[in-house]
Amino acid sequence: MKLADTLSRLDARVISGSPEVEVRGCYISDLLSDVLAHARPGALWVTLQTHRNVVSVAAMKDVAGVLITCGRQPDPAVVAKAAEEEVVLLSTPLTTFEAAGKLWELL
Amino acid sequence: MNPRTENLTPRRDAAGVSLAQALVYELRVRDAMTCRLRTASPRDSLRSIQLLMKEHRISGVPITRDSALLGLVSIEDIVHALDQGHINDPAEARMTRHPVVMRDHYSLVRAVAEFDRFDFGRFPVLDVGDRLVGIITRGDITGALMHHLERRAEEAVRKEAERTAAAVPDEPHRRFILNAEVRAGDFDSAGKLSQRLRQILRARGVEPSIRRRATIIAYEAETNMIIHSLGGRLTATVGADRVTIEAVDQGPGIEDLDLAMREGWSTAGPLARKLGFGAGMGLPNIRRSTDQLDIKSDLANGTRLHAEVLLQPARAP
Ligand SMILES: Nc1ncnc2c1ncn2[C@@H]1O[C@H](COP(=O)(O)OP(=O)(O)OP(=O)(O)O)[C@@H](O)[C@H]1O
Ligand SMILES: [Mg+2]
Repeated sequence: MKLADTLSRLDARVISGSPEVEVRGCYISDLLSDVLAHARPGALWVTLQTHRNVVSVAAMKDVAGVLITCGRQPDPAVVAKAAEEEVVLLSTPLTTFEAAGKLWELL
Repeated sequence: MNPRTENLTPRRDAAGVSLAQALVYELRVRDAMTCRLRTASPRDSLRSIQLLMKEHRISGVPITRDSALLGLVSIEDIVHALDQGHINDPAEARMTRHPVVMRDHYSLVRAVAEFDRFDFGRFPVLDVGDRLVGIITRGDITGALMHHLERRAEEAVRKEAERTAAAVPDEPHRRFILNAEVRAGDFDSAGKLSQRLRQILRARGVEPSIRRRATIIAYEAETNMIIHSLGGRLTATVGADRVTIEAVDQGPGIEDLDLAMREGWSTAGPLARKLGFGAGMGLPNIRRSTDQLDIKSDLANGTRLHAEVLLQPARAP
């Protein structure tokens, strides 16, 4: 499934990058080392972290994208870094729990 | 073949000091002043000096003898002379003696301060031997700043282009050394070296899983120095058959290394935790990702981590 196809169910908005990428699975964590240890390449990473380290970790793990929950917005410098590192950032007003529920059905 | 070395230490001026601010400290009066001087001798009439000013569109003429500065005739002096009817007097009769001068080694910050203090339009510039070497106006300062800003911008663009070109190394076995100074608490700079390492390994066609292992080690080692140490140095060397990562910090060292290597053990503080660190999984991640790992830590010398990742998967025995 394409990441783009999950957007409407998640009520998500694209903040950076193109969602026309294949998404395989999902990993949910707000702990960076945990994501580095356990997320699979190509997965959608769901978190409420918005710091620029999120972009570094996402790039290193080659995840399909990062879904930021609870309507949080990364600041412009983080968005610029995501664009530079070709990391897809999405934002949703849903809580992590709600997003997880929808993703469980979708993926 | 010489290795290629890149230093990825974050620039300090990124932390608030603008380039223009940095330049006013770096540049000297001699970098901004006008050196092609129009001078006159003490016997020249104010009239001839007025013509000199008109011809060269200048507002002040130093009066010299053998490049020693005797005085200054400014446009204000000329206006005054015309008004009072002594425009045909020799310069020495009416010039400003002992004008305030600047030295060619002054920084532009100091120069600007002098302009503010004295409210003159121009200053003669002397070198250490008291020789007149130039003249400076506020306009010269602005001009020099603009010129240097432009040059720096061009330089940055050129460097960026070189860097992009280098991202596809034409010599696949050339050694590549990346190093970066890591500062305690500098969360915003984390990941620069890993990012560059990722580019290089990608360009060399290194298998993604191996590339990930190498970048994760660099990143975890770097964030550990940012969070837990007083600062240190991170180096990644890409050789023909392996990536070597070294992280050397200045202390305070790890009290119980066995405990620290355990998954879930963390002494990270509240700020680090807020940013998503502190799972206590960094060192275990490093261990999982390396082909060879050596960590030495003591409370006197700090922590030294040496990790290697082989670029070819190990052959079955
Ligand atoms: N360079 C270092 N200097 C001093 N102490 C360190 C250093 N690196 C690690 N430690 C200690 O080892 C502990 C475990 O490190 P580890 O990287 O596994 O976890 P963490 O950094 O606390 O959390 P995480 O890496 O999951 O964000 C740290 O909490 C810290 O006490
Ligand atoms: Mg750590």
